[in-house]
Amino acid sequence: MRLKGHGMLPRIVVIAALYLFALFGLPALLSLYYIDSLTQAAIFSIVAVGLGVLVGRVGLYSLGQYAVLAIGAWVAARLLFATTLPYPVVLLAAGVVTMVIGMIFGLPALRVRGLYLALITLMMAGALTVVITTTNFPNGGSGFWGYNGSTVHPAAIRRPAIAAGDPAYYRYSLVVAAIMFILVFVHVRTKPGRAWVAIRQSESAALAAGINTTLYKLWAWALASFVTGVAGGVLAGSSHYLYSIDFPVQDSITLLAVVLMGGAYSLWGAVVAGLLLQLLPALFQVWGVSNDWITILFGIGVLNVLITAPRGLADQVPRDLGRLVRKLRAVGQRAPAPEATAR
Amino acid sequence: MGFRKRAFRFAVAPAVLAVAFGMLATLSTGPSYASLRPSTAASAKSSTSSCGTNPGVKAKGTPINLGAIVTDQPGTSFTDISNMAAAYFTCVDDNGGIDGHPIHYFIKTEQSVPSQITADAHYLVDTDHVIDMVGNTSIIECSVDYKYWESLGFRVIASGIAPQCYSTPNYADVNMGPRYSSDGAAQYAISKGIKDIVFDQSNVPGTQYNVGGIVAITKHDGVKLTQLTEDVPISDPDEVALKEVDDAGPNGAVILNFTPPEALLILQAAQKLGLEDRVKMWGCSTPCNTDFLSESLGSKWNDKLFVNAELAPPDSTHTKTMDLYKAIYHQYGKAVSGGIGSFSEMGFTEAEIMVHALEKVKGAYTVKSVNAAVESVHNFVTGMNCQRWTYGDYSLHIANNEDYTVTPENGKMVLAQGCTLISPLDPQIAAYRKAAGTAPLAPGE
Amino acid sequence: MPSWVEFQPFIVTGLALGGVYALSGVGMIVLFRATGVLNVAFGAVGAMGALLAWQVIYQYRWSDWLGYLICIAFAAVLTLVYGLVMGPPLAGRDPLVKAVATLGLALILLGVMDLLWTSNGGEARAISLPTDSITFSVGQILINWTQVLGLALGVAITVVVGAFLRFTKLGTAMRATASDREITATLGVPVRRVEASAWLGCGVLSGLAGLLLADLVALDATTLTFLVISSLAAALIARLRSITVTLLAAILVGLVESVLVPIQSVSNYADMTPFVLATVGLVIITLRRREISTSRSS
Repeated sequence: MRLKGHGMLPRIVVIAALYLFALFGLPALLSLYYIDSLTQAAIFSIVAVGLGVLVGRVGLYSLGQYAVLAIGAWVAARLLFATTLPYPVVLLAAGVVTMVIGMIFGLPALRVRGLYLALITLMMAGALTVVITTTNFPNGGSGFWGYNGSTVHPAAIRRPAIAAGDPAYYRYSLVVAAIMFILVFVHVRTKPGRAWVAIRQSESAALAAGINTTLYKLWAWALASFVTGVAGGVLAGSSHYLYSIDFPVQDSITLLAVVLMGGAYSLWGAVVAGLLLQLLPALFQVWGVSNDWITILFGIGVLNVLITAPRGLADQVPRDLGRLVRKLRAVGQRAPAPEATAR
Repeated sequence: MGFRKRAFRFAVAPAVLAVAFGMLATLSTGPSYASLRPSTAASAKSSTSSCGTNPGVKAKGTPINLGAIVTDQPGTSFTDISNMAAAYFTCVDDNGGIDGHPIHYFIKTEQSVPSQITADAHYLVDTDHVIDMVGNTSIIECSVDYKYWESLGFRVIASGIAPQCYSTPNYADVNMGPRYSSDGAAQYAISKGIKDIVFDQSNVPGTQYNVGGIVAITKHDGVKLTQLTEDVPISDPDEVALKEVDDAGPNGAVILNFTPPEALLILQAAQKLGLEDRVKMWGCSTPCNTDFLSESLGSKWNDKLFVNAELAPPDSTHTKTMDLYKAIYHQYGKAVSGGIGSFSEMGFTEAEIMVHALEKVKGAYTVKSVNAAVESVHNFVTGMNCQRWTYGDYSLHIANNEDYTVTPENGKMVLAQGCTLISPLDPQIAAYRKAAGTAPLAPGE
Repeated sequence: MPSWVEFQPFIVTGLALGGVYALSGVGMIVLFRATGVLNVAFGAVGAMGALLAWQVIYQYRWSDWLGYLICIAFAAVLTLVYGLVMGPPLAGRDPLVKAVATLGLALILLGVMDLLWTSNGGEARAISLPTDSITFSVGQILINWTQVLGLALGVAITVVVGAFLRFTKLGTAMRATASDREITATLGVPVRRVEASAWLGCGVLSGLAGLLLADLVALDATTLTFLVISSLAAALIARLRSITVTLLAAILVGLVESVLVPIQSVSNYADMTPFVLATVGLVIITLRRREISTSRSS
């Protein structure tokens, strides 16, 4: 992202080629098992990119993103049961409603920073989780909450007609993810992005430079909540059934840990986080490794990232690989390697 | 849905679980955990050779692929069930297999995430090429997958938890699940003259369904019913226990539908607060039926706590089937970490039914032939259930609807009441009996 | 609405629950004040200690006291080792980063615990302290000494730690280290040794808390690990500073949560209590102050 001008074009070409391959190549190559996992990875990379805006751009730590995701999923499910609105409209509505509620989460951020802010969001998420546990997710029932606990056959949450099957829904999720990434990218590269960087570096300096810090902080919160809400909507359709037990408070903490592990400062980090959260467990299942090892691995990963690679795996792995390649080349040529190649 | 968390089910786990269990049947009266390990347990009397038709000959034909999806997350693990089924199948393979064909059994674990369960089912079908599912035990798998199995024509043999495990054409279970087991616990209390029932369960999807039978039964019998739910994991067991006894009153009964750890929490809290005798009777659906629980509770609960139980008690039952179960466990059950008990009994019974069905297949083992054989299992004597066990072509299956009641005694669960039918006042039971009739009692061996 | 008589037992259990929250809350604040690290692994370390105690007491049939000792020693050593290894490289970082790092430890422990103590076959574990069976009655309510111990320990730790930080040389050094590590080091205070003592103390507390909570709440890795979230509410109301306020807030949270239970209409929302009180408390504090920041760099 740091490359400007002439470096940009090849980069876009590579990304576009990778994306098209993921869109059309992978469904042909992979079994449904992996396509299902990659659908979830796409959804959670949206969640990760939203959290990345807060953490990486503005320096605001939220420990409540799982509750925000649950709101998006709840709203989308409720609308999908109650109306025949087209899917994109439902996703948009889920995003907007989540944005409004999410901004309430963001209000303390106007006065509080750092650990306190993180803990306040954790408390609010805790309260919200109790509400969702008590009311449950809509399952086709009537009334405002749309939940019928005595039904023998809860209805499945519908998918868009053009994406009923799993491979089609995978592509659909990937398209939504791309739109959300572009939305975030545009923000990052324009005025809000510059304001966020200024706020992250020093809030008082930003204020002195005439930046409306209140506006831009709330803006960041609105954007993060919006994309997370949309992700919740995609999640609702992908799983057909939603359970409040799948949105526990502590998952928000783990989410932050994995986003930091992937790298909160770049969009690639969000992709890595999505894959770590969803594809890695799927691979472990195939390899017959207990999922407890993933918990352990994430624990080690967080410690590693915090100590040796604050910018996350998305930055560390290419850098280390680059170093390794240069070392090998140096050994091969028996000559000192040239200074770091441009990234 | 969490991350696809295999990793993250932390707390969820307990939560979920709750439901979970209502489900799992248990009549375990085994020795304590430690002494259950295969290496230290007393040697079984009978040999394992009777599990196959050609003793001592390893099956070498083309394999028959079967699958299972089980919940395995921190706080809730049902892997003992599929691991015991796997032990049974290995035993069959070592003794001639199914007409010379070995059974390849593929087990996938999940963490209560719907998308993950869907993916696991796809993997089993597309990559492992399984032709039926047996031993499924999961908190939400039935809800997520029932349409998929229906579309493939799979007749699943499972341990049921979610409503769809009992109310759909393509699942039949060896246990009764939370609803019917709770029915049984309430029926027992009412038969002892209780007029006030407090039913408490974990606050997870399906709570109103689980209490549906009790609502109908208490209404008919003029018994007052108070319904409670608790968020799990429970962090204030004292309050929960106090609230229950307050609502039930001195002549009432408290009936619990929780996972073993959560039920134990509540009962221990009641014990510490001296609440055992503040009500006339305590009841529990099946999950309370474990030795872990009876060992942890004091003698004050003898003849005070009554637990609905679904499979034959392993300690006091001396039949060929029970001997075979123990022998297979000792020889092949290294992965069964919970030892002798209701979980592994369920896995054994499910595998036993499947093998019985496979032996009836003529010609090639295809999805069609195998599932037709499973469907035609009729009045089979499992040696574990009260009743004969039937699959059949019905729109719903409550194949096990008759069971025992047990009570703790000196760290063991002992029989308080023999085989008793679940009341047809529960409309689901009535609907099933209308379709399938009342299965006859299994004969003693 | 239940009568006053019906409320009474809930007040008693509410006090005990408050003691439970206080144990974890105070334990975490002690370390935070001394090192600037909010130890999120406090619960996980205690849980693993308690599981080890369960293993030796109920499986190996060793003496109870040996089990308790192993629990506390394990927690103390593990916390100390973590502090020695991870403390220095993270010393200059934001408190949030330090807190997230302890989350790494919590995740590792959680995975290990679930590998070693599975829940296969419906296994349920419980630890019963000898104080469980010593009881006395207040009116209709039976109270056991474990409940009293929970509350008393919360108070005792508050008093002892408060006095320690205020009146001893080591305590003063801890407070100084927490407020500025570099300057304190320049002044000749052996910062590393001071921090190590704080970690060791925190570890002992987490072992003690783990043992008591295993009895009072549940011997379950997940429950105990994440009980810190509710306990943090009390610490937050005290702005992670005052131990006394943490204790009082914990008791308030426990009481409110408990007395809401018998009121049918709000019973299921009683679990929200810690979160709602913490949020409300923080909003009030924030409105009164201009800005709260735990970040020394800003």
